[in-house]
Amino acid sequence: MNSLLAELTAAGRRPKETALRSLRETGKKGVGCFPIYVPEEIIHAAGLLPIGLWGGQTEFKQADKYLQSFCCSIMRANVELGIKGVYKDLAAVIITAYCDTLRAVLNNWPAAVPGLKAIPMVYPQNRLEPAALEYMLEKFRTLQKELESISGIEATPDRLADSLALYEKYRAGMREFTQLARSHPLTVDVRLRHNVVKAAYYMDKAVYTEKLLALNQWLASLPEEKGGIPVIVTGLLAEPESFLALFAENGLFFAGDDLAQESRQFRVAARPDGSPLERIARRFLDLRGCTFFCDPLKTRGELLIQMARDTGAQGIVVCMYKFCDPEEFDYPVYKEEIEAAGLPLLYLEIEQRMDGVEQLRTRIQSFAETLRS
Amino acid sequence: MFLGVDIGSSSSKAALIDKNGGLIGSQVINQGTGTDAARDIAAILLAAAGVKRQEILYSVVTGYGRMIYRDADAQVTEISCHGLGVARTLPAVRTIIDIGGQDAKVIRLDGEGRVVNFGMNEKCAAGTGRFLEVMARVLGREITALSALAAQSTRPVQISSVCTVFAESEVISQLAAGAAPADVARGAHLSVAARVAGMCGRTGVAPQVAMTGGVALNRDLVDAMAIELGVGIQVPPAPQIMGALGAAYYAQAKYARRPA
Repeated sequence: MNSLLAELTAAGRRPKETALRSLRETGKKGVGCFPIYVPEEIIHAAGLLPIGLWGGQTEFKQADKYLQSFCCSIMRANVELGIKGVYKDLAAVIITAYCDTLRAVLNNWPAAVPGLKAIPMVYPQNRLEPAALEYMLEKFRTLQKELESISGIEATPDRLADSLALYEKYRAGMREFTQLARSHPLTVDVRLRHNVVKAAYYMDKAVYTEKLLALNQWLASLPEEKGGIPVIVTGLLAEPESFLALFAENGLFFAGDDLAQESRQFRVAARPDGSPLERIARRFLDLRGCTFFCDPLKTRGELLIQMARDTGAQGIVVCMYKFCDPEEFDYPVYKEEIEAAGLPLLYLEIEQRMDGVEQLRTRIQSFAETLRS
Repeated sequence: MFLGVDIGSSSSKAALIDKNGGLIGSQVINQGTGTDAARDIAAILLAAAGVKRQEILYSVVTGYGRMIYRDADAQVTEISCHGLGVARTLPAVRTIIDIGGQDAKVIRLDGEGRVVNFGMNEKCAAGTGRFLEVMARVLGREITALSALAAQSTRPVQISSVCTVFAESEVISQLAAGAAPADVARGAHLSVAARVAGMCGRTGVAPQVAMTGGVALNRDLVDAMAIELGVGIQVPPAPQIMGALGAAYYAQAKYARRPA
């Protein structure tokens, strides 16, 4: 395997180890970023290292004091890991308010993890109103001050512009990588693809982007590969690896993704005009088809159908994260549209920690058999 | 000859067909994956049919235990196998309801017998054969006696718990309060039918409809299912072997397509 592909895959597979190494090598203080979206550029401009907090494989013992069993296991894992001290090397965490569970976590965090400062980040839901930008800028300024007080470094307009430029380079690289993964499904199978994308959450973006672009260059030099059945995957995230292995086992690969943890993070580029803070804010306002932002036009189905048509995908796989209410609310709407478009649709309910995948194996294998017949 | 083996969670099935697709023989043993029956079912069928192993040109295994079965040439999911088995047996069927030991499936077929959509129950046992096993145990009956018992019902009880464990407690309470066993048995069938009908709502139901799997031998449950869906339901002869039969047809097709 190519050394960069191996390195980034390993980095994505071992979040804690990668994050600790990044903190050590950069000498920066770390700021944990709860799902779904956080303006990492502001954290970066304030001289801090953003670290993604996307749950993990842990048993729930203490988190259940604060969250009911019907809360999603990513949030329960984050609280559990916080209580256990796994985040002790972070200077703060940013907790967003995209769903009811996140709001509950935000409220309970001071009691559950008293030693780790939580900074709230609330986004406007009605993003089509002009006031949404003003609201967002105000929230970003508040966040900026909080972050500056942690690092002692002012996130000046110049620093913000530099950070935004770096992140735009990173996002363009990610978009290119997902395209190259589509044209090289044998070299970059679904597990490698996922881990390369995920590694970005735990590495300094400048270091990561440099490696990613070199990896892209190498992939682009390889002849295109044919093999397997292309599908589009949608949902909050698609892991663990034992789950992804079922796709590889059955000859399915991701022609594209609409995962909140993956392409939704980088599929929208910043607009060219405006101040750095405005450009960062507008990128959030420009994101369409994401369940975590109100989308009155309900564009997700149309987006998925278009993605399938553009990429030649033969079907769409829904990775419904158990107890993710926002994702569940969207499903009936886009299911009807996708079926009307004549695209095969597979619904899978998943969690990060799954002790058995036999039922999922049967569903994925049956779907593959259906697509092949 | 071609062999199909279906290793389920609670029973093992095998079917043998000739080169023209004609059924030579079949076997059903009510022991599933991990048991001796799962290992021996093919040998038992071959011995009963007087066929030597070397006469089998190709074999396919399906079912929950397919991944650990080592004696087949290929493995195919039970969804595809039930689809093919029914498509060849009852060609006009477009919707299959397969209720097995630990899961329930709704399979939609197109006009050429290909699977175009399917749904499965989630991890819980509600709406599956396991639920009926629990009910039979509470009633002190064999599972095969549930149908005749339920047919005597005059006032079926309502089982409101979705969870099998809670439903068991609920049924014990109802029996303690004087509910007739026949009414409880019928209530259990209505509960399974309602649960599976919910799954049918996701995949859609197109006539004709057939039921497969061991639970399809329960006539009262088939009737309850037909009432719940508002359509007639056919039961193929030997509904338990539809998966194994489909596997045998897959074996035949795979043999024909094998590389020269």
